[in-house]
Amino acid sequence: MEILIQLVLSGILLGGVYALAALGLNLIFGVAKIINFAHGEFLMLGMYAGFWLMTLTGINPYYGAPLIAVAFFILGALFYTGVMRFTIYKPELTQVFVTLGLSIALQNLALMFWQADYRTIQTMPPGYASLMVGNINLPTDRVIAFGFAVAILTAIIVFLKTTFTGRAIEAVSQDLMSARLMGISPQKIFLLTFGLGIAITGVAGGVLIPSFYAFPSVGSFFVLVAFVVVVLGGLGSVTGTIVGGLTLGIIETLVGYFTPDLKEATHFVLLILLLAVRPHGLLGIKGAEKETLK
Amino acid sequence: MSRLSGYFTWKRADLAWALLLLVCTLGLPFAISNDYYVNVLVLMFLYAGMASAWNIIGGMAGQFSLGHTAFVGVGAYTSTLLYNYAGVSPWIGMIAGGLISMVLAVIIAFPAFRMRGVFFAMATLAFGETVRILLMASRKYIDVPYGLSINYEPGLSRMIFEERTSYALLTGGFLILVTIAAFVISRSYIGAYLRAIRDSEEAAVASGIAMRRYKMIALLISAFFTSIGGTLLAQYVLYIEPTSVFNMAISVDLPLMALLGGIGTIAGPIIGTAIALPLRDILLETFGQSAPGLHLVIYGIALIVIVILLPNGLIGGVRSLRNRFTSKPKPQPVPETAP
Repeated sequence: MEILIQLVLSGILLGGVYALAALGLNLIFGVAKIINFAHGEFLMLGMYAGFWLMTLTGINPYYGAPLIAVAFFILGALFYTGVMRFTIYKPELTQVFVTLGLSIALQNLALMFWQADYRTIQTMPPGYASLMVGNINLPTDRVIAFGFAVAILTAIIVFLKTTFTGRAIEAVSQDLMSARLMGISPQKIFLLTFGLGIAITGVAGGVLIPSFYAFPSVGSFFVLVAFVVVVLGGLGSVTGTIVGGLTLGIIETLVGYFTPDLKEATHFVLLILLLAVRPHGLLGIKGAEKETLK
Repeated sequence: MSRLSGYFTWKRADLAWALLLLVCTLGLPFAISNDYYVNVLVLMFLYAGMASAWNIIGGMAGQFSLGHTAFVGVGAYTSTLLYNYAGVSPWIGMIAGGLISMVLAVIIAFPAFRMRGVFFAMATLAFGETVRILLMASRKYIDVPYGLSINYEPGLSRMIFEERTSYALLTGGFLILVTIAAFVISRSYIGAYLRAIRDSEEAAVASGIAMRRYKMIALLISAFFTSIGGTLLAQYVLYIEPTSVFNMAISVDLPLMALLGGIGTIAGPIIGTAIALPLRDILLETFGQSAPGLHLVIYGIALIVIVILLPNGLIGGVRSLRNRFTSKPKPQPVPETAP
């Protein structure tokens, strides 16, 4: 029984992290209807940002998160104006290949600058690496990352539901044409969403680096995780991302405990089955998977 | 068969293209003597063949698969395992691999054909990865080494050759075979059906096309030929391991080459391969020494630029240029209608 509680709690912590890692992808998909295949690479860059922040300046990435957020917001805005702006009303194929091309370029850029070494940092002083709650052992860096996930997800939901700009983003994601008729400029919303999505992804990478290794191709692992979370929870739904992340985290931890070899396979089998049975996810809007920008 | 030939259309330019292809595949291997360039040629023929096979389901039918590495890997593994452990000639192993790939294709088609566009791509991508993970996990129960090497004993029945030229002829033959298959499909009623499905599934079904059946035909043919490409790759390199033949890079490369040349066309994948592979080689030669990965950074950026500037590939670009100069009445863009 105790082991089960331990597993489920670990799964929830992991799930929160996964939700945070996938949120940016879902936000951008919801608004611009683009699946960003370079999403994992932005997460990888975020991990390196956390790593170098700690190594070069000694700033703990937990405190440096706002810095990373600002830097990655600018990066996301550049990503939109420099690349994605040209693909926005183009066929899906163009979008897939532009983001795949970017993913190749970014991955190798990281290889060029930082070699293929596995890097990680220790943010906790020795002795504080894990929290004991009764007999249950929780790694501290995961708990903190989970805290970040909860805070950021809450902030995003509040932002989208209550502020004017947030509602404008929601409007564009629901119906571009009507939003435009209401005087919302889609270009500005796209710019903002890409900035926001990449900023969240960067912060996610920054708080993940203490518990995961950073290396140039780490993104291809996380992009698949993000796909699963997004499809599981629902395309274009922020609350869905939370549900999807938690579900995947718990399933993965449980499967990993019993058959460690097939841990990774659970992602993909889950993804295929879900896409087949319930392509709009647990909480997604029905038909979202068929939508494209018109 | 009569149905297949009934609607068949020939064009005057076909003969010229066929001659060009024959000259390239049968002439170039003898014309080039430099070993390094023959190596490039072999890989070009091989990838062009596999990209053409991908193009049948991905381009003509518009089902954008990102999981074709599963078929390449199954082709490579089936023939190699059969040869190493049972002494079966790769010529037979190649067909066996193709058949197993077709079975796999049926399995993935069941869920994947319910999706379209980028979701089909995601599902097939996950499928390719799953096959690799299952293979690696199965090593716990089956005693197979991580990497499989094929003993170098040249012989026609063993499909191992001393000269690279022979490999170039072999892969060239493969390219011709796939191109003929693609040509027959594209020009017969099947091709017309597939294009109808690609352009609008709703309209295709409404016109009475058995959509699932024709998507399935396209996928099966594509899987079969891609798998044969995998066998040829294994016979050329003589060493395979899970991460080399089950590699997402292969799944990405094949559609990429088709896209660069002109997706959905017969010549497109071949032209695209003839651009992309040498481009990567030249970049590697020029920038490979200065910093690791720099050549792929440039390659990635080049891709982005090409895809944005020429969304219909080189063939599409040439066509639109020709249309501009011959000042034909511009085809009116068909307004997209909501489903």
